[in-house]
Amino acid sequence: MSTTSLAATIHERVARIETMPSIPTIFLPLLKLLNLPPDKVKLDDVVKLVSYDNTIAAQCLRVASSPLFGLSKTPDSIKGAVISLGLRRVETILLTCCLGDSFPAKDWALDPTTFWRHSLGCAMVCRKFGDMLAADSDKAYMAGLLHDIGFLVNCIAFPKEFAIAEARAKEEQVPLDEAELATMGFTHCDTGRALAEKWKLADDLVQVIAHHHVPEQSTAAQPLVALVHLSDLLCRMSNMGYGYYERRKLDLIADPAWPILLKEYRSLEGVDLVRFTFELDEAAIEVFQLVSTIFGGSAKLNA
Amino acid sequence: MTIAPQTAPVNAPVPPAKAEPLDPIYRQIRDLVYKVSGIFKAEEKLYLLADGCGRRMKQVAVRTPREYWDHLTAHPNREAELRQLLNEITIGETCLFRSQPQLDALRKVILPELVTEKTKQITKRLRIWSAGCSTGEEPYTLAMSMMEESDKLLKGWTVEILATDLNDRSVETAKAGIYGDYAVRNTTDYFKRKYFTAVDDKKLQVRPEVKKLITFSRLNLQDDSKMLFMKGMDLIFCCNVLIYFDGTSKAKVVDHFYSNLNFGGYFFLGTSESLMKLNDKFHLVHFPGTIAYWKPSLKSGKL
Repeated sequence: MSTTSLAATIHERVARIETMPSIPTIFLPLLKLLNLPPDKVKLDDVVKLVSYDNTIAAQCLRVASSPLFGLSKTPDSIKGAVISLGLRRVETILLTCCLGDSFPAKDWALDPTTFWRHSLGCAMVCRKFGDMLAADSDKAYMAGLLHDIGFLVNCIAFPKEFAIAEARAKEEQVPLDEAELATMGFTHCDTGRALAEKWKLADDLVQVIAHHHVPEQSTAAQPLVALVHLSDLLCRMSNMGYGYYERRKLDLIADPAWPILLKEYRSLEGVDLVRFTFELDEAAIEVFQLVSTIFGGSAKLNA
Repeated sequence: MTIAPQTAPVNAPVPPAKAEPLDPIYRQIRDLVYKVSGIFKAEEKLYLLADGCGRRMKQVAVRTPREYWDHLTAHPNREAELRQLLNEITIGETCLFRSQPQLDALRKVILPELVTEKTKQITKRLRIWSAGCSTGEEPYTLAMSMMEESDKLLKGWTVEILATDLNDRSVETAKAGIYGDYAVRNTTDYFKRKYFTAVDDKKLQVRPEVKKLITFSRLNLQDDSKMLFMKGMDLIFCCNVLIYFDGTSKAKVVDHFYSNLNFGGYFFLGTSESLMKLNDKFHLVHFPGTIAYWKPSLKSGKL
């Protein structure tokens, strides 16, 4: 099958699937908020978004009252919860919950806890990486959170095919996208792109979703795509991968993404990557706790 | 304060039970220790550092972490005190099968790569050096791990392990290969049965066939003329030894290691140890849960 007809097939299948979720109502306003620097975000706007959906509001309250945040008293209002959680956490919870609701985790080939740990983990690594390079770390965070959205599409639109790919990746301990390509002929990057285009996400996000495994192929926003690519790899080397051992060696400075990032951010040269790696272990703990708090232990844990 | 036990390396990060928050000065001590030695205790391991500081504080009779900070930075004996602290915080790391991620990387990723690269050579020989082997836990672990591959990947290969230490008494203890409960706390029953014999109900001794793989000797890593003779290594392990060296000596030893390694060879440090910017010829490489330094192979063109 030629590349164009394959893309057409994916698009057709993604478009036709009735279970294919339409964009959640609060999704785009939420992305807009995430894109603003924290001091420009109005508390009331966030409270409004949280209140829009009862399930999400309840989830926020539950997370806010969990021991993770060690609050002395349980917040009794949404506003109280937003204040005590902090804007960034609320935004993360919102985005996770609204995606989680759009893609109900029933019979996924991928363990939902593993998926969210990886997505949130990547988002957190992207933000740390972005901070380190003085890049737009809020945008990087959002891109990290959404980069693997194609896996959700696969779980729903190609459940059988994707289950085979996932089983093969585990069995051979190879990267999931390699197994997808070998067994299905396309990857979550292709299906993710189809969804992102259907949802009319901004082009830089589409680029990240479509090219985060081959950043040099992106036609725009290359530094962002490269940053997500490296963060994704670092995440998978730091116990926030797809839940199995990947037999691979990551040579950061030999990766094609490295020169792309270096060209944009000269400060990358002086970065202490080992210390950065050690610090990711800390990030992993917070991610693990956040995911089990958001899903309240209902998702199966495979730590 | 509750002190969490020093746990075996596990796959999922486990935060310590929430004790009282640590004095922020420990982060300053952590950064000082990192700057001087390259040892980095990430947030979840910070309590181990605090624990070590606590034991030293008793010894030098200071009451508060703040006073101890002064002791480490302004006291005439500060250099000696820092060494004592380094001893304290790395002491738990001497045991067999100390770092499972390192051993996984070795057997699952590095060995297959080395075997493929070296397969055209006439003599199928692998040379491993445990530099600063202390009382022998590391070289025995490596020997047993290699023996596990002797019918598989390493069929027809000769494995030579060189184990050296500065301290004569350590070398003698290492040669004897007798270990108590604490040293074998990470050793599975499978390995205990296969590679050890019981000395009495408390102690195990390494079997002769394991010892046969290893040559123990005394060596000073700062003895330049001797270091020049250590040629043709495929793997070098040097765990928590360089942390005691000053910058100049450390850089010199690392340069030696680089020349001692074959092209395509790997250099491993302790699990929370960094080379920082001592040698720019090594590539920092990531494996799941661990890092190493790689001397690029000639054909990779990544020198």
